[in-house]
Amino acid sequence: MRSKSIIFPILSIVFAAAVFAVAWIYFRFISGTDADEEPVKNYSRYYAMITDDYKSSFWQYVWKGAGEAAEDKDAYVELFGSNLSYDYSTEELMEMAIAAKVDGIMVYGSGQEELAGLINEAVEKGIPVVTMYSDIPETGRCSYVGVSGYNIGLEYGRQILSAKNEMQRLAGDMEEEPKASYSVTVLVEEKKPLYDQNVILSGIKDSLEREEAEEEFIIRTVPVDNSNPFSVEEAVRDIFMGEEVPDIMVCLSELDTTCAYQAVIDFNLVGAVYILGYYNSEKILNAISRSVVYSSLAVDTQELGRYCVEAMDEYISTGNTSQYFTADVTIIDRNNVSEYINKEEPYEK
Amino acid sequence: MRSKLAGLPLSHKISGIFILANLMTFIVDIALLLSINRMSVDMEGTYRENSHLNVMLEALDGVQRTMTEYLNSKSTDSLSDYYMSEQRYSELAQELDVKVSDRAYDRMERNIHYMSEDYLGMVSRTIEAKRGRNVERYRVSFEEATRKYEYIKAYIRSLNEEQFVSNSVKYTNLARRFRKLEIFAVVVMFAVLFSSAFVITGIIRNLIQPLGALAKSAGEVANGNLEAKLPESTNNDEIGRLTVAFGKMMVSIREYIEKLRMSMEKERVMQEKELMMETHLKDAQLKYLRAQINPHFLFNTLNAGAQLAMMEGADRTYEYVQTVADFFRYNVKKQDELVSIENEVDLVDNYIRILNVRFSGDIHYDQQVDERLLKVKMPGMILQPIVENAVNHGIREMGDKGHILLRVYRDEDRVFISVKDNGKGMSREDIDKLIGGEWRYEESAGDSNGVGMDNVIARLKLFSEREDVIQINSEGKDMGTEVVISLPYVNDTEV
Repeated sequence: MRSKSIIFPILSIVFAAAVFAVAWIYFRFISGTDADEEPVKNYSRYYAMITDDYKSSFWQYVWKGAGEAAEDKDAYVELFGSNLSYDYSTEELMEMAIAAKVDGIMVYGSGQEELAGLINEAVEKGIPVVTMYSDIPETGRCSYVGVSGYNIGLEYGRQILSAKNEMQRLAGDMEEEPKASYSVTVLVEEKKPLYDQNVILSGIKDSLEREEAEEEFIIRTVPVDNSNPFSVEEAVRDIFMGEEVPDIMVCLSELDTTCAYQAVIDFNLVGAVYILGYYNSEKILNAISRSVVYSSLAVDTQELGRYCVEAMDEYISTGNTSQYFTADVTIIDRNNVSEYINKEEPYEK
Repeated sequence: MRSKLAGLPLSHKISGIFILANLMTFIVDIALLLSINRMSVDMEGTYRENSHLNVMLEALDGVQRTMTEYLNSKSTDSLSDYYMSEQRYSELAQELDVKVSDRAYDRMERNIHYMSEDYLGMVSRTIEAKRGRNVERYRVSFEEATRKYEYIKAYIRSLNEEQFVSNSVKYTNLARRFRKLEIFAVVVMFAVLFSSAFVITGIIRNLIQPLGALAKSAGEVANGNLEAKLPESTNNDEIGRLTVAFGKMMVSIREYIEKLRMSMEKERVMQEKELMMETHLKDAQLKYLRAQINPHFLFNTLNAGAQLAMMEGADRTYEYVQTVADFFRYNVKKQDELVSIENEVDLVDNYIRILNVRFSGDIHYDQQVDERLLKVKMPGMILQPIVENAVNHGIREMGDKGHILLRVYRDEDRVFISVKDNGKGMSREDIDKLIGGEWRYEESAGDSNGVGMDNVIARLKLFSEREDVIQINSEGKDMGTEVVISLPYVNDTEV
């Protein structure tokens, strides 16, 4: 009885404490925190990456590489325009980035004069600009990060020869007469600076000359209008619907490659037209593994992005940087395609 | 702490319990209320940013509109409107954070902030150019400003959308949390309800339990069980004090009953004693009556004999016969009441006289009597049997050498009557037997009036309520015997 009489006051105190504790815990852990909110990381620098098409996986990979490099340097790279509801042109995005006083601009120099003016305006306003993948050398840009067009040309040349050899071998197997000459069509982009594409073409020619095989090929360039989303596809189809279908088709962009291989399938020309593609998107890799595309030339996009950030950072920190950075180029064909197929996809917006 | 609690008045305890229960409910209510309040603040805040952006968009439109108006009309009103809207938009834009984070809308805010600064700069240059009538310049500036205005608008709209999406997610989370809170609140409410019911029941039972025990004890007492177990009191509240008081009361009642019982017992003993006394007296009378043959006839006969002796001039015979008559009359009359010592002494005198006639004056009898004590009361038929005993068993066979001394004296508040003989004495064992009432002997019919020593001793004991009312001393064989009666001294003049 003595002990019992003391139990209830203690029990009630314990109970009150329990109620209090539960309430406190609720406040502290359940009510107070938003479980879905991730911690926000702040950066001291803000770079804008401006491209002609932020949705393409090429630029996505470049952006990813740049973002990883920037993370180490306390900077954030934004694929500019990706958060906006409308798609803006490179120039418009440049104007916005300048107005927004970003700390640096990496821009795909698609070679238009207007862009050159904007690059100079940005530099005047103290915003360093790095051109990437395609240069506009006559501006105040601090550096160019890209691939060597000449090297690309040499690689394509080697692939053309390799394709020709295979065609001859197959013809031998079939006991057919090998062709005296092979037609090679190179799709060039209308908007891309002619200078770049000429470098590639001369690379191809040099490569063929070195093998003393230039006589066997008739090389022609077909300009492709890539100013609107569907014109590339039309242009590629036009070629296949023309009188002379090329033996080898060299595509210098991801979209060209995709359109060409779709056309080859549609016109039932698999095996007849050798597509030398560009870039390593999933579709292209699948096409290579199915032998629809003979080979593809892939730029190390992440390296490209990393170089952009490094050039920018070096310039901002020291006021100077190398004028020219080159990212590696690799050939993907049937033999090594499996290495690329299972690679991680970049963040899609 | 515990003893302090136990000492609190009942009203305080009960109030305390209810306050405690209310306090618990209150705490829980407050906690839930705060929680709900916090959530509603969060909910209110969810779309605040969106509405802020809408306000910004309006202000931006205002700037663009007023600028255009001014460029169109160059009126003072439109200029002041422009300044007001410019001021307003500038303030709103300044509120935007400029930090760069991995969250898209943070960066968008930052961009809008700087783009707005750029735009406002451009607008003010346009206005200046208009005031300076620099037509070419203001036209170009206006176009540029308009482009920037479109960019900002797009940016704000996109941010609005971005935030709306993020806020919708937030709102969904919040709504889910709110639902969780509701369930939690219900659970807690029920927990509090049941727990407080449990605790209060427990405490009240605990408080009332001593009262129940007391009621049970009281019930038992009411049913006549005075030996009912008394409840223990632990608390010092009203119930505790009541329990203590009840306990005390019960103890008092038991003591009182015990006292009553004892006095009744005493009374019973007294009554028994009286009854025994009467019995003994009756016994003595019976024995006496048995021994006599129509005493009245005997008195009359003796009186006739006495008169005859007087007429014949035989004075001694007359006296003797008279003495015998007196002796028997006394025996008949005085047995059932208190008499004075004087009466008893007179009876002894008569008896000795009779015996001396019978035995030719062989008995030497002396008296040493304090006359003042003669009125003291004592039971009748005491001294004569003692003297008779002394004669029959002490000096009968001594011839004329036998001597009896009767003494009546006082020692402080007691009156002593001593009958001493110089006869053959008594052994200690016989004395103890006689006083202890175990003595039985054949009474010689001829020399006894029928009242034995055992009867005498028993009556004396009853009368005086003392064991030592009679003492028998004998120093040994042939050394004589002394019987001493001790009576309380009462001043008889008052009687």
